[in-house]
Amino acid sequence: MAASMHGTQTAANALLSIRKLRKSFGAIEVLKGIDLDIGRNQVVGFIGASGSGKSTLLRCINFLEEPTAGEIRLEGELIGFSDRGGKHTKLSSGEISRQRRQMAMVFQQFNLWPHKTALENVMEGPLIVQKAPKAEVEERAVGLLKKVGLEDRLHSYPSRLSGGQQQRVAIARALALQPKVMLFDEPTSALDPELVGDVLRVISQLAEEGMSMVIVTHEMHFAHQICDTVVFLDQGVIADIGPAEHIFGGTTNKRTLEFLSRYLERNG
Amino acid sequence: MQSGYEWDFGVVLQYREVFLRAIGTTLALAVTIIICGMALGLVLYLLRANTWRPVYLLITAIVEVLRAVPPLVLLVWIYYCMPILTGLSLNGFQTGVLALSLYSAAFYSEIFRAGFQSIEKGQIEAAFSVGMTRTQILRRITGPLAFQRIFPPLVSQCVLVIKNTSLAGYIAVAEILYQGQQISIRTFRPLEVLTIVALIFLAIILPLTFLANVLEAKYRKKYFG
Ligand SMILES: Nc1ncnc2c1ncn2[C@@H]1O[C@H](COP(=O)(O)OP(=O)(O)OP(=O)(O)O)[C@@H](O)[C@H]1O
Ligand SMILES: [Mg+2]
Repeated sequence: MAASMHGTQTAANALLSIRKLRKSFGAIEVLKGIDLDIGRNQVVGFIGASGSGKSTLLRCINFLEEPTAGEIRLEGELIGFSDRGGKHTKLSSGEISRQRRQMAMVFQQFNLWPHKTALENVMEGPLIVQKAPKAEVEERAVGLLKKVGLEDRLHSYPSRLSGGQQQRVAIARALALQPKVMLFDEPTSALDPELVGDVLRVISQLAEEGMSMVIVTHEMHFAHQICDTVVFLDQGVIADIGPAEHIFGGTTNKRTLEFLSRYLERNG
Repeated sequence: MQSGYEWDFGVVLQYREVFLRAIGTTLALAVTIIICGMALGLVLYLLRANTWRPVYLLITAIVEVLRAVPPLVLLVWIYYCMPILTGLSLNGFQTGVLALSLYSAAFYSEIFRAGFQSIEKGQIEAAFSVGMTRTQILRRITGPLAFQRIFPPLVSQCVLVIKNTSLAGYIAVAEILYQGQQISIRTFRPLEVLTIVALIFLAIILPLTFLANVLEAKYRKKYFG
C-alpha cells in the first residue's frame, strides 16, 4: 500500500504539524508534550491503552478541545489561535469554524443528526457551512453515499440504519466537506463484529485514493494493513513511532510489545 | 334519601353573552401569558446557561423562588404591594399577565433546560466538526432537536397556564370562573354554572392536547418509526 512511499516529510511541507502539545483537564495532564508531523496522503494510526490520550489528541487537532500548551498547524496555519506579533490569542469562533471545515471528524458513536435523513446529514455541511448551491450539493452527496454503498438508503433516518450503515453515512458526511485531512476516532469500536468489515473497507478505499487520514483504532490488523505510520501513545506521550512494519514487527520497545501482547491475549 | 336537586341550565344560559365575553378574556389572558412566559422562560434558560457563576446563581435563585411561591400569592402581591413599593400600579388584566407570566416562565425555563440537556453532546460536536457556528447549530441542530423533546411538556405547561388564568378572577378580572361566580350568585345555580365553566375549559383544552398528540405521534413515526 501507500506505506513509506512518501517517506517522512519535513516540518516545512507537512500537512499537520504538532509541536510540544500539552493538554490538562484540571490537575490531570493527559497529553504531555506531543511532537509529530503528518504528511500529505499519509495514513497515521494511533494505538494505545484506554485513557492514554488518543481521543484527546484527535480532539485537539480540530479544536474540539483547546490545547493547554504547544501548537498544531494545518498547512502552516496555526489552529485555534492567531500568532500575529508572536503572541497567541484565541481566534473568534467564526474563524475556528472556518479552520474546522478543513478537517473532518468521524466519531466512535457516529453522531448522526437523528432528525435528518442520510442524505440530509451529508448535505448539511456543504449547504449550510459552505453555502454551495443545493442541486450541486445534492448530486455530490448522492455520489458519496453511493461510494460508501448506501445508494438505496438515501432517505432513511439514522434510527432505521444499522450501526455500520450509520458510520458509513458519517464518513460520507465528513467527505462532503472535501477536507484536507480526515480524523477517525475508533470508527468501528461501537459496531457489532459482523458490521466492522464494511466500514473498514470504505476507509481502506479512501487510503488507496490518497486521502490524508489520522485514525485512532483498536483494530491492529487493520492498522497494520493501511497505516503508513503508527504511533503508540502511552500515558500522554509518544512511546513508539514508525512504519506499520516497525510497530507490528521490528520494534524492541518494551511498552509497545507489552501493549500488543495484551491485545493479542484479548483478541486471540 | 332522594336528592331533591333539579338541574336547570335554562336560567344560566340566559347569561351566555357574559360567558362568551369571559371566554374572550380568558383566551386573551392565556395567549398573552403563554407568549410572555415562554419568551421570558427562554431568556431565563439562556441566562442560566451562562457560564458566569454569579449570573447562574442569581437566575437559579429567581427560578426556584418563582416555582415555589403559590401563583395566587404572586398575583395578590403584585396587585396590592407593587403600587405601594414602586408607585407603579397595573390593572387586573396586566397584573394577571405579569404574575402568571413570571410564574410560568420559571417552569418554561426548566422545560427548555431539560430539552437542551437531553441532546447528545456528540451531535453538537459533530456540528462543530463540520464547521457550523453556534447560531447555525442552534437553528439547524439543537433547536429542532430540543423542540421535539420539549413539545409534550410544553403543551402540558400551556394547559396549566390556561387553567391558572382563573386565578386572575381573584383580583376581579372578568375571566370565565370569575363571571361564573357572579352568575351563580345571581341565579343561585352554582352547580350548573360550575359545570358549564368546566365544559368551557374542556372545550378549550381538549382540542389543544388532541392536536399536540397528533403532531407528536406524527413526528415520532417520521424519525423513529
Ligand atoms: N473532558 C474531560 N474532562 C476531564 N477528563 C477528561 C476529559 N476528556 C478526557 N479526559 C481524561 O483524559 C484521559 C484520556 O482520555 P482519552 O479519551 O483521550 O483517552 P483514549 O486514549 O481515547 O481512551 P479510549 O481508548 O478509552 O478511548 C482519560 O483519563 C480521561 O478520563
Ligand atoms: Mg478514545
